[in-house]
Amino acid sequence: MSALDELSRLPPPAPPELSPALEAELAHLAPVAIRRPVRQLALLVAVSLIYSAGLLVMFTVRGDLHELPMGWLMSTCAAWLLGFVLPIALATVPRAGSMMPRWRLAGIASVVAAIAMVGLGLALHPSGPHSYALGWAGVVGGYGCLANGLETALVPVVIGTIFLRRSLPVGSRWVAAGLGAGGGSLGGLVLHLHCPVADGLHVGLVHGGVIAIAALLAAALVPRATELR
Amino acid sequence: MAEARELMQRYCDGDAGAFRELYALVAPKLLGYLVKMARERALADDLLQQTFLKVHRARAAYVRGADPVPWIYSIAHRTFIDETRRRRRAVVRVGEVEELPEVPAGLTGESDDRRDELRGDPELVTAALDALAELPAQQREAVVLTKLDGRSVAEAAEIAGTTVGAMKVRAHRGYEALRKLLGRAAPAAPAKAAGGEP
Repeated sequence: MSALDELSRLPPPAPPELSPALEAELAHLAPVAIRRPVRQLALLVAVSLIYSAGLLVMFTVRGDLHELPMGWLMSTCAAWLLGFVLPIALATVPRAGSMMPRWRLAGIASVVAAIAMVGLGLALHPSGPHSYALGWAGVVGGYGCLANGLETALVPVVIGTIFLRRSLPVGSRWVAAGLGAGGGSLGGLVLHLHCPVADGLHVGLVHGGVIAIAALLAAALVPRATELR
Repeated sequence: MAEARELMQRYCDGDAGAFRELYALVAPKLLGYLVKMARERALADDLLQQTFLKVHRARAAYVRGADPVPWIYSIAHRTFIDETRRRRRAVVRVGEVEELPEVPAGLTGESDDRRDELRGDPELVTAALDALAELPAQQREAVVLTKLDGRSVAEAAEIAGTTVGAMKVRAHRGYEALRKLLGRAAPAAPAKAAGGEP
């Protein structure tokens, strides 16, 4: 297409002089502390873990903890932790040499984390003599667990939002979902160690559902703060 | 783009001269992109200034060693979309008053301003710009970024906030549509002149 070739060969136009608004800003230009994503991630993870440990102490550890298989308990803890760190890392740390968030991967990680933890809860939910099995009543009346999980998710989401405020020109909704899913997964970890209800419906739909609900809420609310407009 | 990284770093450290150098380095190509998207030089100039003002206000988001150019393009892209939406809303409000005020040329409307930019073969360039203007905004953007600005599909996807696959599809469809539009436009003139079939 010679017309398109001709257009692509055009020299770029001469840009205008800087606007008075920009000149005024440059007149008193001060150094700024630039973003250090890895350090911010480490801080976010550390503060969130301390906060969630504090909440767990406040809520108390589940009574049937010592009756549950240690392998399942630890591996599920690791899965919740992975679901916490991975989406948040993807949402806050860009790939090397880039400033842009890995919003697509953060979005995928949120969806995968939500599906995996709901599925894991439905499939694997060992119980002990002091565990509770409530069936659908545990799902319908699961708002206490949901509230506790979302309360835990609040801190990582707020910290992540502060770190990313007014810096995302694109993908802010997916980044927010990543922050929400990560926070929700931390909420799930707290519930895993606190809630003695051990039937699959409650563990899967309520504890796992915290990830999905936190991700959706974050995707709806956070972009207002992180979008660069 | 090592130079842009270095300039951005110095600018964040408080060097106003580095900002001017960064502007001189990035603004011409970015303005070319905005002119092709907006098709109105005055609007493109305004969008460019808005973009750099946003860059300035968000400079603390810079990550050491990162290439700032895709980020700046992305801000320009976002600013263009917001302006398009704002203008669309403004047109609706204009329709409510009895006496219509004078409305400047729209984003996809003709403007004499752009003719200042035309060099090379003006007819071919005008034909390409006209055909480009007929494309949907997403396809136009894909064609401008990948075919005219020479950006990789991955980079263009990053700028537009979409996936590589979607960008490939948009660029391909846009290019095919352009081919049809330009193919239709090119033989039309000689056919008319010869009095033959269109």
